[in-house]
Amino acid sequence: MGELPAVHIPLLATSLQAFLAEELRASGLSGYVVGLSGGVDSAVAAALAARAVGAHRVTSLALPAPSSSAESLEHARLVAETFALPLEVVDLSEPVRALTATLDIGQDRVRLGNLAARLRMVALFDRARRSGALVLGTSNKSEILLGYSTLFGDSAASVNPLGDVWKTHIFPLARHLGVPEVVVEKPPTADLWPGQTDAGELGFEYRDADPILYRHHELGMGRHQLVAAGFPQQLVDAVLRAYRHSRFKWRPTVVARVSASCVNVDRILPRNPEA
Amino acid sequence: MTGTRLAGEIRVALAQIATCPGQLASNLSRHLEMAQRAREAGAQLVVFPELSLTGYLLAHGVHELAFELGDARLAPLLEASRDLALLVGVPLRRQGGGIVNAALLLEDGAVRAVHEKLYLPTYGMFDEGRYFVPGRSLAPLRSALGTFGVLLCEDAWHLSSAVLLARQQVDAFLLVAGGPTELDAGDQPAGLRRWHAIVTAIAATTVTPVLFANRCGWEEGVLFAGGSWAVDARGARLVDPAPALEESLLLVDLSLPAVRYTRSLHPIPQSERLELWRAALEGEHG
Repeated sequence: MGELPAVHIPLLATSLQAFLAEELRASGLSGYVVGLSGGVDSAVAAALAARAVGAHRVTSLALPAPSSSAESLEHARLVAETFALPLEVVDLSEPVRALTATLDIGQDRVRLGNLAARLRMVALFDRARRSGALVLGTSNKSEILLGYSTLFGDSAASVNPLGDVWKTHIFPLARHLGVPEVVVEKPPTADLWPGQTDAGELGFEYRDADPILYRHHELGMGRHQLVAAGFPQQLVDAVLRAYRHSRFKWRPTVVARVSASCVNVDRILPRNPEA
Repeated sequence: MTGTRLAGEIRVALAQIATCPGQLASNLSRHLEMAQRAREAGAQLVVFPELSLTGYLLAHGVHELAFELGDARLAPLLEASRDLALLVGVPLRRQGGGIVNAALLLEDGAVRAVHEKLYLPTYGMFDEGRYFVPGRSLAPLRSALGTFGVLLCEDAWHLSSAVLLARQQVDAFLLVAGGPTELDAGDQPAGLRRWHAIVTAIAATTVTPVLFANRCGWEEGVLFAGGSWAVDARGARLVDPAPALEESLLLVDLSLPAVRYTRSLHPIPQSERLELWRAALEGEHG
């Protein structure tokens, strides 16, 4: 059964740094704001940004919610320390509790998780506004293709260096950048409720899903070809189901075109023109 | 000019720059800075990448930014071209409608010649056919320095462009590109490796030097491959390639008499069997 093709990790890192440097230059803003979850994706994004524009221009925020594990905050501190990033801890417990009551969310784990993810987005964009910064995205390609994100929550960002990088490649990239091993090695989790893991929710591990997604999304192999190539049918079906059902998240808002000048349809324009 | 140069000996600078779509002032300053460096290094011609003044991924922005031949925005470059020829890329408004993806040869303070891109890639990530109209004809650019064949990015992927220009005795190809790339297991971007294969193949098969100026950097989340380079009429390197990710200025010394001598020894383009082309055309359309 096939693996995911390798990518040259040092070249990937250097290229993504150049991306972040250019996006900041073109925007004319002051730096980046990144939410550190204590996980590997945000650690990688923060490390790339620090290398690209200097750690002093990357403000990191730890945003604990009532359900967050103590380990997550500890790991966020460790990441900030490792890359010399200023860290601000903004405890979202009270706002999460207040809105849980106001919106009558009760014990619905998915709604609670979405609420925490979206309040983090609120905190990050507010912090970015305060210092004239860009919010750094941390979603990787595997998550995006599988729809494993909260729309307008963790998927919301000004720029995202990792959105075309497979989760399988995030780990060697993290090691290359010097992300602490304890962060690289722990099971991926959105940390939206105690004991949650990505694999537990998705029903498969990224390392098993990525070769299937690659062959389907990039090489155009269909279900029968994938099974014939030796991928377990149950796994193929689960991965392709997520891939098909989450596609609405790839382009979050569809605008009804009623003129001949619809933005992003009839008028696709450079984002950072001169004044 | 440094030292004495024989007739037909020219020094060309390849300016690998990172441009930003829509930021003309910033892009123009990259041009003027590179032109000054090239001037100080004794170059007589500076070649810039595709759409170098406006950036490449303009989409409908071409309508906001398109140039005209008498455009006042060209003034600083025309001034710079009084002692140094420049090949720069712009979207150019054509009389009678339509915008072409063009390379302008600026020389002695005037627009001396224009190459209009012939092949507009409109597949995969490319959408040029949506915003540009294709160039009308393929002809060498005649400069005071020599006769050049301009291949504007995709033009070079259609090998017939180079063959037809080589038969018109161009002294060298100026291959100007805005070549996006992906990354794979290689230590250079995949797009850069493909471009180098094309550069070598064009030079070797047309017995004509190829001077390749590619852009580098990022636009709208798209990475460009850099790796500007030059090879002689047999495909041997004239200079080490520029790095993939960084802006740089490559200097290439070219002896046009030597090119012509090499071509007389290896008259491959002159041996092209055009009757086979004719038969193929008649087969398709007859």
